[in-house]
Amino acid sequence: MRGLSIIACALLGAALGAPALAADAVEEARLAELDRVRAEIANQVHLAAFDLVDELVYGWMSDPVFERPTPVVLAGVTVPTGLGSGMQALLENHIAAALVHNPSSNIQLVHCPTCTAVVVHSGPEGTVVTRGYDNPEVLAELGDATGKHALFIDVEAEGAGLVLRARLTRLTPELPIVWSHTIAASSSAPALLRQPEALKSAAEARQEYLDVLRGRGTVDIPVRLTVRSYARSYDPGAVAAPPFLWLQTGVEIGATDARAWTSSLLVGYSFIPQAYQGISGQARVNRLLTGRARSLTRPDLYGFVGVAAVSVWGAATGSFREETLTADEIITDIEGVGPRTTFGTIQLGLDLRLGNRVGMSTYLETLPSLQRSPNLGQYVTLAGVRFQTFGTEVTFWF
Amino acid sequence: MGVIIFLSLVLLASTTSKDPSPGWSRSVRDSRNMDCERMDGETASARHPGLIEAPGPRGDNIERSALVCRERVMAEGLRPARDEAVLMDLDDTVSGFALAAGSLRSDLTERTWLVEVHYPSAPVSSKIAFAAKNALNSQGLRVSDRAMTLSAGDVSVLTRLPPGEAWPAACRRYAAGGLGEGDALLAVVTRDPRETQLHAGICDRGQWTWLL
Repeated sequence: MRGLSIIACALLGAALGAPALAADAVEEARLAELDRVRAEIANQVHLAAFDLVDELVYGWMSDPVFERPTPVVLAGVTVPTGLGSGMQALLENHIAAALVHNPSSNIQLVHCPTCTAVVVHSGPEGTVVTRGYDNPEVLAELGDATGKHALFIDVEAEGAGLVLRARLTRLTPELPIVWSHTIAASSSAPALLRQPEALKSAAEARQEYLDVLRGRGTVDIPVRLTVRSYARSYDPGAVAAPPFLWLQTGVEIGATDARAWTSSLLVGYSFIPQAYQGISGQARVNRLLTGRARSLTRPDLYGFVGVAAVSVWGAATGSFREETLTADEIITDIEGVGPRTTFGTIQLGLDLRLGNRVGMSTYLETLPSLQRSPNLGQYVTLAGVRFQTFGTEVTFWF
Repeated sequence: MGVIIFLSLVLLASTTSKDPSPGWSRSVRDSRNMDCERMDGETASARHPGLIEAPGPRGDNIERSALVCRERVMAEGLRPARDEAVLMDLDDTVSGFALAAGSLRSDLTERTWLVEVHYPSAPVSSKIAFAAKNALNSQGLRVSDRAMTLSAGDVSVLTRLPPGEAWPAACRRYAAGGLGEGDALLAVVTRDPRETQLHAGICDRGQWTWLL
């Protein structure tokens, strides 16, 4: 009987405790998710915070606060509330790196353990517990504040922007603030990633960004490897055309700001021993589909239309005729120099580019002069036009 | 057929509306996380080159403006709502306090200013104090990092008074203590724990004045 009552109590306890346990689990999951989101935000904004620090140091270089190198204690660095101490450590390191690389800022970081330590001072007026830099009289007694200044830096997320505030305080009993500055920036602006050895003003950095972004007038030299595959015909007497491998190069220019429109002119050569050779000329117009400006950080997708003139010759090029090949023609092609065919094409495709350095594209191509050729099938028919060729390309820009 | 569908999807993706209002492509929560500002075409083009087209030199014969929306750094719910509301407009708020403090009386511009903040969260308090000191300094006023102290007995009495009486009383105690003749204190406080608006007052030679 006693055993039963213990089991009943245990079950009752479990029944009553279950919602609490479930609530704890939900709360833990919620907190874990918040931590994950905070870490993600810290990753995203720390480069923008670095930019603000760079701008601060650049300001000291171009308009120094002190006439000569002056010892300064990095007294406090605070980051947006909720983003934790990891970002604070990153920011402290970056401030130190930027100052060490730029001695002309005249800010000479010094180590002062007693400045940042908690000090307890008892006197006739009472007992005061402070940080060292808040109580310079105590620091003076400890002989640690002579001629020093304290640097305080705060970064805060205010709406969609990050705001950096900095102030320099002289460590004398009056604690006067000798300099302060506030810099605001939008976190949505791409981080400039300036090198600490070559800091630039925000205006110069913006101009560099615009120059890269616009890219108008810049001539690129693409090198492109293309495989053209021709659709197989279902005509019983048809001879399928082999895939053609092309190596193309030429020039590409940005026709508008930000390379939203680009155009290219390329020549190509194709060669497979004992099968075929070919030359081609190609012109294309590309239009950016993902946004209105070429991205410096994400892949860009272009749509394009183009025309090409292709001339091929060799034993395996007999398929580019408008009639079904006879056995005699095939034998003659193999034994002789082979036929030579020149035709024009119209292309329609998509081009995915990574930083305008490497790209992958696919396209459909129609051969107007060979629309009725029984040797070529079609991959797709759009508005009555047969697209007989499917092309894939890999392009490198130099 | 597949190619047509693929091309259509790509074209559709490239023409998707960038409207920040909630809709089929944006939830209400996402819209609330946007910080939007309306500006004329020229300003928008200068601030966002490449993304917003500048109006032609002779105009477009239509009135154009751009609504520039940016995602807030801290998404909704990541920080306490009151802290978020205070920090959202911190720069404007403290600039307003500094301007009002500096222009209240001409003799106040000669004082050395100290700043004190009373806000329920210590990290947010220190940020408000930092911003207020910078704002005062940018007004050309002398600012000190000194912190005012009160004895335990004073604190015990003052914390039992309503804010309307506590601050004038605290000001008198400060004047009897470390706040000298050449000093003025700017206090930024919350008068009610439920409100998100900050208030400011000035303590000068034992006289307390509410600014905002």
